[in-house]
Parts: sequence; C-alpha cells; structure tokens
Amino acid sequence: MAANQTVNKPSLKQISLSEETLMGLYTSLLRVRLLDERLRKLFRQGRFAGTYFSAVGQEATTVGPTYGLRDEDIIGPSHREIGAAVTKGLTFNEIIAQVFARSTSPDKGKSHPCHYGSRPKGVIHPASTVAGQTVVATGCAMAFKIQKKDNVAVAFFGEGATSRGGWHEALNYAGVHKLPIIYICQNNMWAESVPSTLQAGIDRFADRAKAYGFPGVTIDGNDIVEVYKTASEAIARARAGQGPTLIECLTYRWYGHSEIDPANYRRPEELEEWKKKDPVVRAEQLMIDLGLLTNEKREAMVEQITAEIEDAIKFAEASKYSEPEEAYLDVYSEKIPVRREES
Amino acid sequence: MKTTTYIEAITEAMAEEMARDERVFLIGEDIGLYGGVFKATKGLQERFGVDRVIDSPISEAYIVGGSVGAAMVGMRPIPEIQFADFITPSMDQIIQQAAKIRYRTGGQWTCPMTVRVCCGGDVGGGLYHSQINEQWFFSQPGLVVLFPSTPYDAKGLLKSAVRGEDPVIYFEHKRLYRSIKEDLPEEDFTVPIGKAAVRREGKDITIVAYGLMAHRSIDAAKALENEGISAEIIDMRTLLPWDRETIYESIKKTSRAVLVQENTKTGGVMAEVSASITEDLFDYLDAPVTRVCGLDVPMLPFAPPLEHFFLPNADKIVKAVKKVMEY
Ligand SMILES: Cc1ncc(C[n+]2csc(CCOP(=O)(O)OP(=O)(O)O)c2C)c(N)n1
Ligand SMILES: [Mg+2]
Repeated sequence: MAANQTVNKPSLKQISLSEETLMGLYTSLLRVRLLDERLRKLFRQGRFAGTYFSAVGQEATTVGPTYGLRDEDIIGPSHREIGAAVTKGLTFNEIIAQVFARSTSPDKGKSHPCHYGSRPKGVIHPASTVAGQTVVATGCAMAFKIQKKDNVAVAFFGEGATSRGGWHEALNYAGVHKLPIIYICQNNMWAESVPSTLQAGIDRFADRAKAYGFPGVTIDGNDIVEVYKTASEAIARARAGQGPTLIECLTYRWYGHSEIDPANYRRPEELEEWKKKDPVVRAEQLMIDLGLLTNEKREAMVEQITAEIEDAIKFAEASKYSEPEEAYLDVYSEKIPVRREES
Repeated sequence: MKTTTYIEAITEAMAEEMARDERVFLIGEDIGLYGGVFKATKGLQERFGVDRVIDSPISEAYIVGGSVGAAMVGMRPIPEIQFADFITPSMDQIIQQAAKIRYRTGGQWTCPMTVRVCCGGDVGGGLYHSQINEQWFFSQPGLVVLFPSTPYDAKGLLKSAVRGEDPVIYFEHKRLYRSIKEDLPEEDFTVPIGKAAVRREGKDITIVAYGLMAHRSIDAAKALENEGISAEIIDMRTLLPWDRETIYESIKKTSRAVLVQENTKTGGVMAEVSASITEDLFDYLDAPVTRVCGLDVPMLPFAPPLEHFFLPNADKIVKAVKKVMEY
C-alpha cells in the first residue's frame, strides 16, 4: 500500500501500546474481515436465508472500542457490529449458527442472521429498530452506577440512528447522571440510500454531545490505534465515574446496506477513495513497519483463521433447524403458560 | 385495461393523486432517489421534486407527527413507514395526535393523512421485518384502518384515503407486492372505505379474511370445493370501521364462520369480529365461530420451519373449516 507508507517508520514507543495489544487488535481485525467476506459469499451462494449486513471497511470502529473490555461490561450493538461480537468473544460457531438460523444458534433461529448476542459475553442480542440498543445500553450503565460497579456499557450505532428521539433521550439521561457509557457513532456517510448530510444539520455528529453536557470527539475510524486509544481513555473515565463520551468514527461501508442493495446511489470514486484507507491493510502495514509481522506470519494467520471459519460453517450446516415447537418457548418464564394451538 | 401488480397500483395511486392535487406530498426513509426499499415510490422524486417526495432522517416520530402538523394546515401527506415493525417510535403521534385531533378540538382541526405501512410475513423476514400491527390501531376510534389484498383495492382504497378527511393507517403486504397482478381500468376509480368484498360465493360456510390471508382463504376454498364444501370468501379490506353488514349477510346464509388472520390470535381483529357475530347472530349459528390465526408468540420467528409453523395457510384453514362443518 504505497499510499500509506510513511517516511519515518513509527516506533512502539511513539504509539505507546504494547506489542501484545497491537497483535491482539490486528488479529481481531483480520478475523472479522475474513469472516465477514466469507459470510457475504455464503449469502450470495444462497447458503442461508434472509439477508446479510456486511461491515467490511468499518472493522476498526467495532474492534477498537471492544478490545480490552471485560466480560461484565455490556455492549449494545446494532445491525453492523459483527466486529464487536467477535472481539467480545462470541465464537465462530455461535456467529455462523446464528447466520444459518440453526438450533445451535444463541437465539435458536428466532431473530435475524445478523443479530449476534451472548449473555455470558455481555453482548445484547439486538432488535432491528435502530438506536434501540443505545437506549437499553444506557439503562445497563444506569444500573452499574446504582450497583456501584465499575463496569461500563458501550453502545454502537450508525450516524442515521442519531436522528431518532429515543437516542436523544438516552444521551440526555446519561449526561444528567454521568453514566458509565461510551457511545460509538459509526459515521459511514450513508444510512441505506440517505447521505449523512440529510441526516443532520451539523457537520460533526460528535457535536450532538454538547447538548447533553459531555465530551464528543470525531476521529479517523479506520485507524485502529486512534480508535483503540480514544475509546480506552473514554472507558477509563467512565469507570472512574467521570461520565459518558460520544466518539464519532469516520468510516465507510464498502458494500450495499445489505447484500441485496447494489448501492448505486453512491459515486464509485467515493468508494475507491475509502478503499485506500482500508483499516485492515493500514493495521497490517503498521505491524510490518514495527517489525511485529511478516508476510509469512500473515499467511499463516490467514490460513489458520480460514480453517476455523470453514469448521464453523460445517458445524452450522450440520446443525438442524429448531423443531417447530421451539416457536412456543422463551415467550415467558416457565411460570406463565403460552396458549398452544391444537396440532 | 392495464396489467398492474399490487405495488405498481400503489405507485400509480400516489402519482395520480400528486398530479391531481398539489397538496399531496410524500415523506419517508429512502423514498426519494432510491425509490423506496421495495420501490413503491420509484420515479416520483424525479417527477415531483424534492419538496414533494422527501427523504427523511431516521425519525419515525417526526415522519408521522410532522405529517399530522402539515395535514392540519392544509396539506395531504402520505408518510411511509418502511417496515411496520418500525412504526413503534411514531405511536405517540398516531394515538395522541392523529386519532384525537378532531375530537379534542370540537372538529376545528382535522388530520387528512394516509400513513402507508409496509407489513407482513411469509417473506423470511424474521422477528423485525415481518410484523403487522393492525390490531393496535383497530382499537383506536378516530383512525381508519385499511388493508387491501388486490391491486384494484390497493389503488382504489389509497385514493379514497388521500381524498378523505380522516387519518388513515394503510397496510400494504410485502408478500403481495409482486406476486399478484390484475387488469386495472385506465380511468380514475376509487374503492369506498368501509365496504368488504365477496371474493367467492358459497353456501356452506363463510370465511372472513384480509390481506395475504384473503388469498390463502381462496386457495383453501378451491381445495374444499373438491371435497364438496362450498365456502364463501369475504375480504374485509377496511378493518376500521369494518363492514358488519356484508359479513352478517353471508353468515345468515351459511350459519358457519371461520375467521382468518395472519397476526397473533389474542386481541386481534378477528377476536372482535367473532365476539360481534356471537353477540348479534347467535340464533343463526350452527357451529362455534372459529379462528385460524398466527400463534400467540412474538410475530414472527425467523428460521423457515418456525415461520411456517407460525403462519396460517390453506391447509390450516381447510382443517378448521372441516371441523366446523362436522360440528
Ligand atoms: C426505527 C427504524 N427505522 C428504520 C429502520 C430501517 N433501517 C435499517 S438500517 C437503516 C439505516 C441505518 O443507518 P445508520 O444508522 O447510519 O447505520 P448503517 O446502516 O449505516 O450502519 C434503516 C433506515 C430501522 N431498522 N429502524
Ligand atoms: Mg450509516
């Protein structure tokens, strides 16, 4: 990537992150990229039903804020957060079984292919109504404060979601009560076919935080180091009782809103420009420049991750769909009966 | 005559009303250049401009509430809710403003607005892209609730809604968008609000349905015919206010009724229809009024076997009819 080659090679000291952290971040990015691209292909081959929301191009915005969270910290994702799910520790088996809607999926096939979640890993299985989990995650943060725990919540959403009333109610509350929450706005310039300029009358979505009395920052969302560091500081402040932060990550989705959207409302040059800022390639270059990665090592990583993905696909495809009667389960606790139809 | 799909009928109704009446405008998500996620508004922004076909931010409360305000001062808005599942943020505006503005102001303010709601299952949409929520609005006096099942009705009812003086929640079933066509007259026509349609005449039993289930009921009636059972099919078309007369007339003739609804059973439209039939026609009935509905679980689970299990279909309707016939 000639475009990203720097004259002065960076040093670990300048970056002030450990080798282990950098390798961890890079590994997560690579796992997410390979998984996401593979799932797109599977959808195109008709191997699973419904649709698929790819997050390719946006990986750093989800990996950065999630890496380093504890299991007890909660994340409230939206529909494009496969990167957060993987980084928070959901297994490929869980994710691919979800996509294939099988009985082995965490939701047993009830919700939607991209609604990844796990209670033990602290990932709220999302609803589709955008900004829904922003509100709910704020509620988690409210509870952490009442419980006097130093857990944090991280809410992920697109710039489009910031137009919803519920989103504003949540941020307002978090500001009043200095809740331990970090709001990650993935500004990928588009909400389906609607450009961000029709979404808000301000240039910077981070400015919305001003109205609620806490800091808002806009950063390069395709720079994993910047995202990780900015989020880590915000998380530390939240844990210390210093309240929320809104982080606007500038990024871009490479493909359609979902796999059935050809995205022909965008200019091809726009995509080409953003592809030059590929967050995975940039991280790779950094790792190579720092002497932490070689081409051979990368190849070996790709091979190992790919094998893991293929195993998980086999697992999911070999799993059965839930029995129809599963439809009656998990409506209520066991104490409340569901009316069943005669069969 | 022109062969027209259900979705084309909707597009044409909007285009013709916009051409006829400059007060008519559209607002919704992705409806402009993109033409809507299902292409219901295709070509309309190009033709009528950005002031009359407005790409909204993701703000359902505003899409509807803003339309209420515009309607109050002389416009004829047609807001679009991209998926019925996402109508929830606008409930406050629909229930507290649209449904009550006339009542609470002694008739001084009115809300001639048509909310188009894309809804329905049997499309592999899962829990958040299959919902229908007609029953929430069905219980709200002040609202009109429409649910066409054919291209003719889709076009004619949408025009009646736009030309009317009341707030209308207009459900369009996404499974029907491209799966049914019919020849429509070239000249202007409307379908009256509040009138059901007899889709098929029969003498043994009355099947009442609407939306996708009207089609499933016709399929069932065809199967039943082979077994010597003659079913009359009534398509409600307007849910609020619903057409008692047509339904009652049929049941007085057949003395038996099966009511079919895609949505969950408890508290649904057919619960009301059933209660009314029992109240008003008890002496005419030869068997219990019986419902075939979606299951009483969240509408609706994603995995194909679960979706199939949830939804009423022709087989389930046939089975219920036979049971009622044997009673
Ligand atoms: C309340 C609500 N309205 C509409 C939709 C349909 N919808 C799904 S995603 C989306 C665009 C979201 O844009 P943004 O928040 O920027 O996230 P992105 O898809 O760009 O990641 C829309 C309109 C929805 N899911 N929820
Ligand atoms: Mg976006």
